[in-house]
Amino acid sequence: MTTSRKDRLTELLRPPTEADFTSRLRSATVAARIGVWLGICFGICFVTGLVSHYAQNPSQPVPFPTSPSWGYRVTQGLHVVTGTASVPLLLVKLWSVFPRLFIRPPKGLRKLAVEGLERGSIGVLVAAAIFQLASGLANSAQWYPWDFSFRTTHYAMAWVAIGALVVHIAVKLPIIRGVLTTHVDDTSYDRESATRESPLSRRGLLRATWLASGVAVLLTVGSTVPLLRKVSVFGVRSGEGPGGIPVNKSAKAAGVTATAVSPSYLLTVVHGDTEVHLSREDLLGLTQREETLPIACVEGWSASGTWGGVRMRDLLDLVDAPRGSDLEIRSLQEHGAFRRTTLQGNFADDDRTLLALALEGEPLSIDHGFPARVIAPDRPGVLQTKWVTRIEVL
Amino acid sequence: MSTMRVRVLLAGLGVLVGGYGAFLLLSRQDGDQLLNAAVWLASGVVLHDFVLAPLVLGLVVLAARIVPAVGKVPAAVALVVLGTATVLAVPVLGRFGERPDNPTLLDRDYTAGWLALAGVVLLATVVATLLRSRQEKR
Repeated sequence: MTTSRKDRLTELLRPPTEADFTSRLRSATVAARIGVWLGICFGICFVTGLVSHYAQNPSQPVPFPTSPSWGYRVTQGLHVVTGTASVPLLLVKLWSVFPRLFIRPPKGLRKLAVEGLERGSIGVLVAAAIFQLASGLANSAQWYPWDFSFRTTHYAMAWVAIGALVVHIAVKLPIIRGVLTTHVDDTSYDRESATRESPLSRRGLLRATWLASGVAVLLTVGSTVPLLRKVSVFGVRSGEGPGGIPVNKSAKAAGVTATAVSPSYLLTVVHGDTEVHLSREDLLGLTQREETLPIACVEGWSASGTWGGVRMRDLLDLVDAPRGSDLEIRSLQEHGAFRRTTLQGNFADDDRTLLALALEGEPLSIDHGFPARVIAPDRPGVLQTKWVTRIEVL
Repeated sequence: MSTMRVRVLLAGLGVLVGGYGAFLLLSRQDGDQLLNAAVWLASGVVLHDFVLAPLVLGLVVLAARIVPAVGKVPAAVALVVLGTATVLAVPVLGRFGERPDNPTLLDRDYTAGWLALAGVVLLATVVATLLRSRQEKR
């Protein structure tokens, strides 16, 4: 009696082997079908991520386009949407191949080396994929529980993830071809032990995965698609905020609560030896324009607003700046990576680019950059500099 | 081109692309930051393989015992949908990025949102189970 109990306990506590996983659902036919969609999502995430990274580069050998004005809103929205859709896909895919983690290493040095390499590449892929999704999700909720630089690391790991993915496809190509051209219930590529029928069919598991992926998108996408705001109960922004636009960094966080409302505020526009100083009253005395442009944040949320203010080009004409000049925009903000930004010549010259003083007919709120902020078409939100104090022609 | 050549070319391309990423990772941050990034990279795998995966295994074993046969398929679909959505919602449910100076950030009641989602999933599971049991009786 005691021995049998003891045996059962040892049985329960021993590390699992591959043969312990008997469900027919954990099959290559399932893994590859999910893998196709995961690959597509990662591909879109990678390309839109590259676009976003380039858009934030101060130096752009090929000018980032200023049209369509909603371009970055779409690419960055897609970046976060495909990343979000990948979470259920990755989780179910890892579930479907989990038994492979417990395959005993083969005997013989050569075989061991080959297997080691393959497992190593899978390890890199899994680590990179989980890291990208987890760090991206945390970032979109403005949660930074780490000490590394998010932008540098997320960007570098994107190349690692895509590289490891391509290696993975190369390694598995014969199996991928085999299972994708056969019926999902085909057993010729199954592990020997994967014979136990389960109530859910393979087709059913796949459908549940597509459903979960769609639900994940619906639950979050309202932060960037206003129509779906009510459905998106996990959206990082409801879309509310002063003037109908959420705030990314508040005046308090930027440390400008005093300087932004100071009566001595002056905007300085500099071109070589020519300098012009303008108070907010002076700015309001110049020709006022209105443009409807979106704020599209790297974190994936976006909102469109009607901005009023002075056309950037009109300001540059005050100091006779030649067309095509890059500008350095300086904020009252004293710390942070984006207190100085470069506004490239093609953005500076675009008629829609404003030094905004108003939003939806009301004076700009302090959290939206009072007394004056940059708003330009097709540009990441972090570069739409708030609390502008100096514009210098480079 | 033979399959083997395609595979070798693909693998070579992958190693180049991944190597470029490794170079970017290693060349642009100091040692402490890299160590921290390495800890995070490893933690993701460890959390999945030794916490989340066993948890799901346990849940499935438990559900297999308590859910009646006719409800097993709807319950499995519910687990996939609600389980993955819950993992996805960890950053907002924990409200870790909340800032007192910015009321426009994380400005929803995410716990209520999760409960509503769980309610909808539960309701759908029950309805699907009832429909299936009626079908079986016929």
